[in-house]
Amino acid sequence: MQVLIADDDPVSRRLLQSYLQKWGYEVSAAQNGAEAWRLFQGATFAIVITDWMMPDVDGLELIRRIRGIHRPGYVHATLLTARSQKEDLVEGMEAGADDFLTKPFDRDELRVRLRAAERLVNLEQSLAEQNRILRETQAALVQTEKLASLGQLAAGIAHEINNPIAYVTNNLVVIRRDTQAALAALDAHRRGDSAEAARLEQEADIGYFRENFARTCDKTLEGLHRVRDIVRNLRDFARLDEAEFKEADLNDAIRSTIEIVQHQIKAKSIRLESESNPLPPVLCHPGKINQVFLNLLMNAIQACTRGGVVATRTRAEPGEGIVIEVQDNGCGISPAHRSRLFEPFFTTKPVGQGTGLGLSVSFGIVRDHGGAIEVDSEVGSGSTFRVRLPLKPPTK
Amino acid sequence: MTTTKHPILVVDDESEILFSLRGLLRQEFELHTAESGVEAINIMRRNAIHVLMTDQRMPQMTGVELLQQAREICPEAVRIVFTGYADLKAVIDAINQGRIYRYLTKPWEPDELVAALRQGCDEYDRVTQRRHLLLDLRDYLNRCRKLSGDDVLQFTGNDLLERIEYVLAADVGRGGLGES
Ligand SMILES: Nc1ncnc2c1ncn2[C@@H]1O[C@H](COP(=O)(O)OP(=O)(O)OP(=O)(O)O)[C@@H](O)[C@H]1O
Ligand SMILES: [Mg+2]
Repeated sequence: MQVLIADDDPVSRRLLQSYLQKWGYEVSAAQNGAEAWRLFQGATFAIVITDWMMPDVDGLELIRRIRGIHRPGYVHATLLTARSQKEDLVEGMEAGADDFLTKPFDRDELRVRLRAAERLVNLEQSLAEQNRILRETQAALVQTEKLASLGQLAAGIAHEINNPIAYVTNNLVVIRRDTQAALAALDAHRRGDSAEAARLEQEADIGYFRENFARTCDKTLEGLHRVRDIVRNLRDFARLDEAEFKEADLNDAIRSTIEIVQHQIKAKSIRLESESNPLPPVLCHPGKINQVFLNLLMNAIQACTRGGVVATRTRAEPGEGIVIEVQDNGCGISPAHRSRLFEPFFTTKPVGQGTGLGLSVSFGIVRDHGGAIEVDSEVGSGSTFRVRLPLKPPTK
Repeated sequence: MTTTKHPILVVDDESEILFSLRGLLRQEFELHTAESGVEAINIMRRNAIHVLMTDQRMPQMTGVELLQQAREICPEAVRIVFTGYADLKAVIDAINQGRIYRYLTKPWEPDELVAALRQGCDEYDRVTQRRHLLLDLRDYLNRCRKLSGDDVLQFTGNDLLERIEYVLAADVGRGGLGES
């Protein structure tokens, strides 16, 4: 561990240096504050021991400068002083000193104090490391959750798109076949061969074609529009590339998210009641807010039995922001589970169905927006999740 | 193939699909359609159906569930299911258990779909003919046994009858024809 010593008294400086070297520290020694400051800027020191009284840059000033620049890792600073009045200690601590040692110092005391300093520095380092790991894990969690919900949705969306594609393709084949038959009948008419024309019309069932041609074309167009809308909704929903905050109408966000889970709703024959009141624009990360709705909606749908009811409501709360509610009449949440809902990986769902990340990720997103999630729930009668968001996220 | 059109029943919860398939199939088949499993079962109770083709994903009753019930009501109908890739597992299991004649993926190729239905109708005809043949043979053997006191004839007749019963029963499992 690197230690920086600053003392203008050569005797005490050399004494300090020799003790520290004997104990295994890497030591740099400076004859005054200015030199110490130069040394400090040029290298990385975990511990600084400085005399208080020095010409020009004194010990207090040196510590102030050290605290003033931003470096990774904590620097432990000890002031050497002949003074031991309470006022002096306060002044030293305000400058940023961690510890004091009165001169002339005692060798054993110095040793013990240094060990304490070392412990502090190590602790700080491992804390910083853990913090970094935590942050990385959290980022990974958000990513996993995104993938998990995407995977679940993909099957549903594929089905939604497959249906229109199936009948649009089929309609086109029918239109081509029947139009060709009709043209063949027309040719026969032109040749004056009305017997053949009648036969062809009969064979191809031209009557049906005549009656249903327009409708077939309309249905085909409708199908293409459906695919277009699904794709548009997906794009609105995902907004994956939008990193920055944007003003958004969250009623639109809810609408596109509901479209995304439409298949899940249909598959379980769930009745969806959606009440949207006018909302002021909210400065938010729309893609992430959509992810929150998605999680709440999926949970509500999963909590319901077949034929259950899920309700969404939005309203403005004057002076505060906006409120979004997702309510279900599903199984409800037992008091024992209530406090664990937002824990990462807490799930009551079978393996493969729930990762237990939905709510913990949602909680993080809403908190980053300066909002909160509230839960009302009763076992057997259902749950309400309420998201409150301010119109602007808090400025950091 | 018989000269009259084969009666077939197509089931899907989406009316657009049914309308579209009507356009495709109306010329070649006597087409019945239903938007749910329950409706399909009602139709099968009232009409002879040679081929039953259903979507797998429907609310209330899935395609495989419908086909299972259909087997009780109308065992002679050839059973086909169409499905998106996501549901393939359930369908393949059902096929492996011998309850379904074949499956088609959704979205389908119209030509393939028509070809599959034709194949289904041929299968129906083939199994029906075989069944009639076997039933005639059974009657014939029974009559022979009554008329003759010959031990050898009694013995081989019994053996043959047993095999006939076995084949008739096995056809039910294949989605073809069986005892009714
Ligand atoms: N609307 C609800 N009704 C009843 N229980 C709920 C509801 N929402 C959440 N829960 C409970 O909270 C647990 C955690 O929810 P969370 O969304 O975090 O994870 P999950 O739904 O289990 O899995 P994931 O969302 O990752 O697929 C759920 O397993 C469930 O027990
Ligand atoms: Mg969830």
